[in-house]
Amino acid sequence: MGWITAQAPRPAELNACVDCGLCLPHCPTYRLTGDETASPRGRIAAMRAVADGLVPIDDAFEDMMSFCLQCRACEAACPSLVPFGRAMEGARAELAAQRSDAGRRIRQVLLGRLVTSPGLLRLATRSLGLARRTAAIRIVPAALRASLAGMRSVSRPLPPVRGATHGAQGKQIGSVALLAGCVMDAWFGGVHEATVELLTRAGYRVVVPPGQTCCGALAAHDGDARGARRLAARNIRALSGVDLVVSNAAGCSAHLKEYAEWAGDGGAILAGRARDVTEVIAGAIEDGRLPTMSINRGVVAVQDPCHLRHAQRIVEAPRVIVSAAGYQPVDLADDQCCGAAGLYSMLHPETSHTLGENKAAQIRAVGSTVVASANPGCEMQVRAHLDNWYRVAHPVELYWEAIREKELRSRENPE
Amino acid sequence: MRVVTFVRELQDLLGEERVLADPLRRHVYGKDGGIRRGDVAVVTLPATVGEVAEIVRIASRHAIPVVPRGAGTGLAGGAVPTSPSLVVSLTRLTEIEVDVESSTAWVGAGVLNLDLSKHTAAFGLHFAPDPSSQAACTIGGNVANNSGGPHCLAEGSTVNHVLAVELVTAAGEVLMLGADAPDPVGLDLRGIVVGSEGTLGIVTRVLVKLTPNPPAARTLLAAFDRVEDAAATVSGIIAEGIVPAALEMMDQPMTIAVERFVGAGFPTDAAAVLLAEVTGHPAAVAAEAELVRAVAESNHATRIRVAADQAERDLLWKGRKAAFGAVAQLAPDYYLHDTVVPRTKLVEVLAQVYDIADRYDLAIMNVFHAGDGNLHPLMAFDASQEGVLDRVHAAADEVARVCVAAGGSLSGEHGIGLEKRDLMPLVFSEADLDAQARLVEAFDPDRLFNPDKVLPTGSRCFDMGRPVPEGIWI
Repeated sequence: MGWITAQAPRPAELNACVDCGLCLPHCPTYRLTGDETASPRGRIAAMRAVADGLVPIDDAFEDMMSFCLQCRACEAACPSLVPFGRAMEGARAELAAQRSDAGRRIRQVLLGRLVTSPGLLRLATRSLGLARRTAAIRIVPAALRASLAGMRSVSRPLPPVRGATHGAQGKQIGSVALLAGCVMDAWFGGVHEATVELLTRAGYRVVVPPGQTCCGALAAHDGDARGARRLAARNIRALSGVDLVVSNAAGCSAHLKEYAEWAGDGGAILAGRARDVTEVIAGAIEDGRLPTMSINRGVVAVQDPCHLRHAQRIVEAPRVIVSAAGYQPVDLADDQCCGAAGLYSMLHPETSHTLGENKAAQIRAVGSTVVASANPGCEMQVRAHLDNWYRVAHPVELYWEAIREKELRSRENPE
Repeated sequence: MRVVTFVRELQDLLGEERVLADPLRRHVYGKDGGIRRGDVAVVTLPATVGEVAEIVRIASRHAIPVVPRGAGTGLAGGAVPTSPSLVVSLTRLTEIEVDVESSTAWVGAGVLNLDLSKHTAAFGLHFAPDPSSQAACTIGGNVANNSGGPHCLAEGSTVNHVLAVELVTAAGEVLMLGADAPDPVGLDLRGIVVGSEGTLGIVTRVLVKLTPNPPAARTLLAAFDRVEDAAATVSGIIAEGIVPAALEMMDQPMTIAVERFVGAGFPTDAAAVLLAEVTGHPAAVAAEAELVRAVAESNHATRIRVAADQAERDLLWKGRKAAFGAVAQLAPDYYLHDTVVPRTKLVEVLAQVYDIADRYDLAIMNVFHAGDGNLHPLMAFDASQEGVLDRVHAAADEVARVCVAAGGSLSGEHGIGLEKRDLMPLVFSEADLDAQARLVEAFDPDRLFNPDKVLPTGSRCFDMGRPVPEGIWI
């Protein structure tokens, strides 16, 4: 019966593919299986077959679409500029609309509640933390347990950041609304601290508007178009009246830049202002608004989150930042997905595990125990697959630490 | 019923995950990088040569045609089944075993061309054939099509780099053809298999010769106001006695499409650009690069740019190699032609090609391995328009005829497949075709493998599929 939603893959998106196959080697699931139906070109062919009415939206179609990591490595490799990520979100929206089973509905309701309610997420986090230390962890489903194995052990609980305003240090050059995020706020307080400190030092006034919510990326990737639209609409209202909207989770900044799809004109305006924190901080370093450390801290392995490198084509910024901190950035053997991919690690635990192991092996080969990763999902995945003497941190954290350390030292030994 | 037992036998062998039989997945495997679609009965994903042999035995028992497939980047329809067939995807045969001392490697058919060169980079070696699809295409596909690439001008095509092949025959036997010695005794059966497009058997493993990475390389980009000047430069360079590692030309429409994708600074206002690469000893490279520059200047090059470093060199080549895909920015479909003309006829043939495209009202752009006269006219179109495919095929047909009439050949490197099959009589007599058909029969008497490819029906004099039994009179 073809497509029924407004998000469905569009003819222009599907026609842009000429079947050249240059995306194939960049696709992690194709690499693992050698199977055309697990490749971007194959998935486009399947979407076309549905669009042309040749096949129904059946189990085979659902399997093919859900096996995709949505890492968008194919997009960066595509000479025909096929917007694959967009088309795949459309296919997922169709699946959600046409094949809604109980499992998907429960998943979307639970997820919807969890990511939009900071209080609930904190409660869930604390319960999980407690469960991890007791036998109660056994009641947590295995796939969820594996996905959360790489959670940070937070020594000091940081206060929630929402509602705060931080003035620029020195001359103000602009204003920033910080997207607090869903998991970032509950689990990654250290990243927020570094982000706020660095942005204010770079001359930005930083507000963390209280009315904001989850960016909606997980909902969009999962085909929950209504949820994605609702969240986008709320954020557009909350994150207005600033020069830039900054996120320190690559998956979120990538999604903010696509708000035109989810929230019309207002969305396009926010998308135009959206930045990943690495872009803004790297820019400030290059302008000399933030310092460059001459100390040699050794090598750091740079893990490129797919939604930074492929979706936003940001490659240099994290390297600029860790270099300014005094590290020598080293690339991993390839830029393929680590297997976290949002909900993927829970829906396809085996594939996710294999990719996680591959990524961990590449990190070990670098020979440093410090890893820079600019996305919370990747950070957790990478940590879960590495021994506990590896440190995985956001580039801005490593940089902020270096600045603070230098300042402490100069205070102790004034010249 | 027959298909059901057939699929069950395959599932018993490979498990359900590696046998794809649902309508959607069969549909997805119905096409390669070209424009034709075929009919797939079932897809298998074997992981060992033993499994390939067993699959062939099962298919042979059920008399179901077998179509081998690599990455499906071919443009001539070589991996497109013409009747409901068993597709054998060889992408899981990915073992590489390098013998550094003899600069050779045993390579699984499913290894990607570029992966092989990356794998051997640590030893200072690479696999010389470098088709534009090298990041995606498999070694098995390269062997099937005797693939070339920009750097085949100096290094030769795949057949010059294959020492031996492991071949699964129609009887399900595993043969080793060729040897690690450079000149084995007996008939050169390896040379027959390379370029046979999957019609003789399934190549599962290949012993390849590896080429030392050049100690130095220099890449030049020259822009011209007239295509004639670019072509004269090509002839001039070769007349100087230089065989550059690569000598590539793009016309203006192609350059514009490529530049939009890579942003490498290709001059979009030039009528033609020439990409030349010289490799070898640093001193020789410097001297040859100067000579190339001088020849280009004497032929009125408007600008000459020398890539400053490896990154710039990579970017220029990325642009050249993404040329085909980049065309999709202009139209949703393309037809990429592959013919060869004598270098001296380049300008003349090109004018005729433009004329043909005009007459059929098709957008055409050209990219070619100018050094060996391998033309790749590319027609961009929208297949959803009524009748456009007929025009494309008619124009392609004329282009092939023009090239053959100029003393050229039907295919440079992409193979014959389905696309050029019916044009074979342009270059081969009945006796030639009959001889080739007999050769295929010698390997594959029942035409199990990739039937209907390469040779047009009727190639065999008294085409009956098999020899007439003794004692029967017709």
